[in-house]
Amino acid sequence: MIVEDEMLLAMELESEVEMAGHRVVGMAVSQTQAQEYLRGNRPDFAFVDIHLQDGPTGVDVGRDLAAAGIPFVFVSGNIKRIPDDFAGALGAIEKPYTVNGMKNALAYISAVVEGDFDVEPPASLVLAEDVGSVSLRRHG
Amino acid sequence: MLDKDRKRHDAQDAGDRLVARHVREDPFAAAFKATRMPMIVTDPNQDDNPIIFCNAAFEKLTGYSSEEVVGRNCRFLQGPETSRSAIARIRQAVEAGSDIALDILNYRKDGASFWNALFLSPVRDDAGKIVYFFASQLDFTNVKSRESDLAAARHRAEEEVAKHTETLEAAIKARTLLVHEVDHRVKNNLLTMASIVKLQARIAKDDVQKRTLMSVLNRVEALSTVQRKLFTLDDVSRFDIADFAREIVTDLVGAVGRDDIRLSLDLHPVYVPAMKATPLSLIVNELVGDAVRRGLSDGGGHIHVVVKRLNGHFLIRVEDTSIPVEVDEESAEVGRILLETSARQVEAKIEKQVDGHRTTVDVTLLVDAAQENAN
Repeated sequence: MIVEDEMLLAMELESEVEMAGHRVVGMAVSQTQAQEYLRGNRPDFAFVDIHLQDGPTGVDVGRDLAAAGIPFVFVSGNIKRIPDDFAGALGAIEKPYTVNGMKNALAYISAVVEGDFDVEPPASLVLAEDVGSVSLRRHG
Repeated sequence: MLDKDRKRHDAQDAGDRLVARHVREDPFAAAFKATRMPMIVTDPNQDDNPIIFCNAAFEKLTGYSSEEVVGRNCRFLQGPETSRSAIARIRQAVEAGSDIALDILNYRKDGASFWNALFLSPVRDDAGKIVYFFASQLDFTNVKSRESDLAAARHRAEEEVAKHTETLEAAIKARTLLVHEVDHRVKNNLLTMASIVKLQARIAKDDVQKRTLMSVLNRVEALSTVQRKLFTLDDVSRFDIADFAREIVTDLVGAVGRDDIRLSLDLHPVYVPAMKATPLSLIVNELVGDAVRRGLSDGGGHIHVVVKRLNGHFLIRVEDTSIPVEVDEESAEVGRILLETSARQVEAKIEKQVDGHRTTVDVTLLVDAAQENAN
């Protein structure tokens, strides 16, 4: 799932996610839309921008995801706005990211979602303090 | 004769004797009478230490005539708001026979109060016995009121400052919000530009077009990395070339994904003002990009990047050991122009040496005196 209010950026991220071998199942531009989507769906992973159409509500979306046990990362130009506990996120990718930076981050995320914590985290991903505390549950 | 009258008579006699004895021969007595400073003499050997003499200045200050004053203890100058502790200190000094200087609120005959800087001291005879007390008075009400005016003015000024500080803090908060908004916009725009280029590259069927667009993307990503690195530092106006170089070279080599390209780094923090960040980053990006492209075409190679300070200037060196290859003319031209214009902008010198398989490019720029101090 991609939560981003800039359409072009969302589209590009979708393309990069699919090139890494995954499928994008939902898009949302605001917390309201994200909550609506989550009512009936359960993605394996989410990318969440902090500035959304209804304000800087990305952190709240993060908390909603954490509450639902869905792993996610923030994708944002303002890493400082993320609270110390990262709102339960795995980490954050800083904008504007490079193709290679996102590719490395996706490789790491894929491994972690599969349960393999042994991989080296890339420089492009700012990790939350304690990755082990993030609950990861697979869909289906 | 009434008791009170007798006291006055005795005091007057004592005063007369004092003055009569001295006036012709003693210049001090003359001075005492003539001075503008209010002064009195009291006789502790008479009951209740009465005033036996006062000068004209004292009469003028207090509004009492000499007749009204002689024979009385000077406590008549005290009034309802006179400090009890000041009165006690005077009494203690008189009892102890010591000097005292203190500020005390006194009252004139007409009831008006004034601030009196009182100085009291005993006069002793040869045997050391106190024969008189001498006291001078100084009306410093003006100073006192000026003090309170000053205090009031200072209080008003502090209120003004507090109000202005509040306004300033609000303005700073608004400006910080604006700065964050602009920074957010810049970052999104850089990513949007990259997205547009990537989109075009994806859709383009022509290989040359794809390659051209990817080379544009490469430079946009260099600028994107600059923007990330600029804001990360607490002092927004600084940029570490070494940190940038590390990220760019790791990124570029990583993107290629070949084991046969070895990377070694000799990086030391080199801080430059923000306005040098873009041109310097384009230079590093070109040099490292060139080295990586050379390593791609044959059996890999070794790339060595140095960023360090060397007496009075900075050095950026990209050295690689790959067989120099033919690059297509157009991209070589673009690269060359970017390198030259960027070098000119920061007044850097670029020197390239090719020695068989080894290519070394040195970029040197002078240390700016101002940034020296800042660092």
